[in-house]
Amino acid sequence: MILFSYTSNVHAQISPGNLTFAHANLEGLSNCTKCHVLGKQLENSRCLACHTEINAMINQNKGFHSSLGVKNKKCWECHSEHHGRAFRIINFSPDNFDHSITGFALDGEHSQIKCQECHQDKFISNSLFKKRKDTYLGLSTKCVSCHQDVHQNTLGNNCSSCHNTIKFKPAALFNHNSDAKFKLTGAHSKVECIKCHINEKLNGKQFQKFVGLQFKNCTPCHQDVHKRQFGENCIRCHNVESFKEMNRNSFDHSKTRFPLEGAHLRVSCTNCHGKDLLSKPKFTECIDCHKDAHFGEFTVNNIVTDCKKCHNVISFKTTLFTLAEHNKEGFRLTGAHLAVSCQSCHFKKVLRQWHFMKIGERCIDCHENVHGVELTQKFMPDNKCESCHVTESWRTINFNHNITGFKLLGKHDSVSCNSCHEVKNEAGKFTFRFVSLHSNCTTCHNDIHFGQFNSEKIKKVSVCENCHGFDNWRPVNFDHEKTNFPLKGAHEKVSCFSCHKKITKNGNVFIQYKLRDFKCATCHA
Amino acid sequence: MNKKLHTIYIASFFIVGISSTLLLVINGYQYYNTPLLTRFFNPQDILLKPSGFIGQGLGVLGSLMMILGVAIYMIRKRVRYFLHFGYLKNWLELHIFLCTLGPIFVLFHTAFKFGGLVAVSFWSMTAVVLSGIVGRFLYVQIPHTIQGQIIGMDELNAQNENLSHQLKEVYNLPTRIFEEIEQISSLKRHNSPKLKIGIAFLIKDFFGTKSVIHNLKHELALAEVPKSKRKSIAKIVKTKLIFSRRIGLLKTMQKFFRYWHVVHLPFAILMFVIMFIHIAVTVAFGYRWIF
Repeated sequence: MILFSYTSNVHAQISPGNLTFAHANLEGLSNCTKCHVLGKQLENSRCLACHTEINAMINQNKGFHSSLGVKNKKCWECHSEHHGRAFRIINFSPDNFDHSITGFALDGEHSQIKCQECHQDKFISNSLFKKRKDTYLGLSTKCVSCHQDVHQNTLGNNCSSCHNTIKFKPAALFNHNSDAKFKLTGAHSKVECIKCHINEKLNGKQFQKFVGLQFKNCTPCHQDVHKRQFGENCIRCHNVESFKEMNRNSFDHSKTRFPLEGAHLRVSCTNCHGKDLLSKPKFTECIDCHKDAHFGEFTVNNIVTDCKKCHNVISFKTTLFTLAEHNKEGFRLTGAHLAVSCQSCHFKKVLRQWHFMKIGERCIDCHENVHGVELTQKFMPDNKCESCHVTESWRTINFNHNITGFKLLGKHDSVSCNSCHEVKNEAGKFTFRFVSLHSNCTTCHNDIHFGQFNSEKIKKVSVCENCHGFDNWRPVNFDHEKTNFPLKGAHEKVSCFSCHKKITKNGNVFIQYKLRDFKCATCHA
Repeated sequence: MNKKLHTIYIASFFIVGISSTLLLVINGYQYYNTPLLTRFFNPQDILLKPSGFIGQGLGVLGSLMMILGVAIYMIRKRVRYFLHFGYLKNWLELHIFLCTLGPIFVLFHTAFKFGGLVAVSFWSMTAVVLSGIVGRFLYVQIPHTIQGQIIGMDELNAQNENLSHQLKEVYNLPTRIFEEIEQISSLKRHNSPKLKIGIAFLIKDFFGTKSVIHNLKHELALAEVPKSKRKSIAKIVKTKLIFSRRIGLLKTMQKFFRYWHVVHLPFAILMFVIMFIHIAVTVAFGYRWIF
């Protein structure tokens, strides 16, 4: 009896131990059958008779207690009793709890946050749990039960159809092309959402509008830079790839007063219509758009000659100005000029500009005078090349040589001009010599007689014409009778070379014609 | 039951008792060491908790052992029909075995958690076991026949005389030593002390006897008594000393033993009453173990 009274749990009588604080009101012999069933140990029905909220969730097949591994368990398998007041009847460890079995798996950002961030009174929708302390029950799986509906119920409450749990923005699960009536095509797919879905105020709160946007035409979102000049059907001219890229398939420029042809087809619209395409350019004259590349050369009395006279729309460089028209304009293109490209005469290489007017008609305006001082005013009056040359060919010379005082007789008439006039200078280059060219034979020909027939008056100048003519080298003008030794007798029949032998003098080998000693023994032995 | 069979009989008790206890300790050491507040979450709880398969089984087995241990001894001792059914000494040994191992099983059944009304039963059981150990010691102090009957003073004196005769005549113990032994084992030294003094004397004499035997062996060696005789002489002297002590303390011990019964029996009854209540409640709530 002493021991009986000593026992601290006398009042507990046959209880195997104290109940937890949660069940402390059930202590006492009379309360045993509130939990225990006679002959049947413990049954869930007794627990659920009090824990109606759990019972309700199980009946609705919701929550942790309805999960596969828990549903068919006995309550006492997890929630034991009679282990003392401080016993953790709910052995819940937030760090090890597999939240997925509650029917709401924690993924994405949900897996990073603390339990209490969601399990708060203010988020509990079920009134049964609202006032309970430290409960993990009563939360709805709907996003809006914890998160503010920033869309203010304009998009329904199925948040997960657009958002995932990783990040609220952007709505990663939302596919504008399949989920919205307005498909994002072209440049629309690159535009930030806020550009179309602007922030506004609704019910006094900041609100981004996602539904109710007008998109029958472009102007609800895009400014009509044409100020309704072209109506509301923007896609008639524009496409969704770029505002600046015209919809050539639907916009037909040929229906305008200025059909696009040739190179105009490849030109950007903004080149003519300005950056905002608001410009309505004049198109009567080419210079309404194009710069006058000729620097006013074709402007006469402030009137610009129509470009079409020379150019077409295919290419500026392709000219319509024909040779016939060129020949009408004053400088006739003849001979080799017909084969020369325009730029040879009209493109000034230094200025790198084309010039067509007043470029001069004289040969030297284009050609270099290669003769310099060799041709005097007498032979090239006023620098006129045509006194000798013709346009057919530079080398075709039309010149009367007789005016030079050196008539072209005999063979001279048939040799080319270059034979006499083209000579090598000291630098080894061929130059033309005209006035500086002597009329002496030895200027062109070699003196094979080595000065034997030099003029007595003018030393060093041979008097070839005393013996030779112009048709060949035969000494047709030579008469032996007129020499100091006329040929007589047998001398007439003797070969010339019997008397005029080859000699070597000063290293030169030649036939000696000028003999001084006429003694017989000089020739005869 | 001859001596060899008795040794096997006792050894089997020790082996079963000790191995069962060790097995329970080793198997449940980690669980039983777990604090009560967290024990439920231990994986072994489902088996070792008081209502678990092993836990409750130990309770059932332990209770049956105690019931059996008490019943057979009581029946053998008190029912006339069984008065000559085996030696009472052997039944007592079986009683001690069953009523020692039974409580050990019950102890593990409780999983060392003591609370509620059943705790009274447990502590009663503890008191019964502890008093049983004391009782076993007292029982030995009162000379009994092998049938358990108390030997009278005259017969004890006669047996004591017989031992003295053996020492003097058979072993030719040197006179000096013999007289010294006679003096030490004189019945005068006891003089039927009171209970408290008797227990103190008992303890003192228990250790004093060992000292005397040690010194005796030394003296016998000095007296050049053959070694083979020395051991027998020491055994007889030890028996003689214990005899003289028991004779001297017989009245005191008999008185003490009566008091002991007052403790041992009521606690046993209390234990069984509460135990049956506990069993009844358990069964009523459906905890029937394998039944």
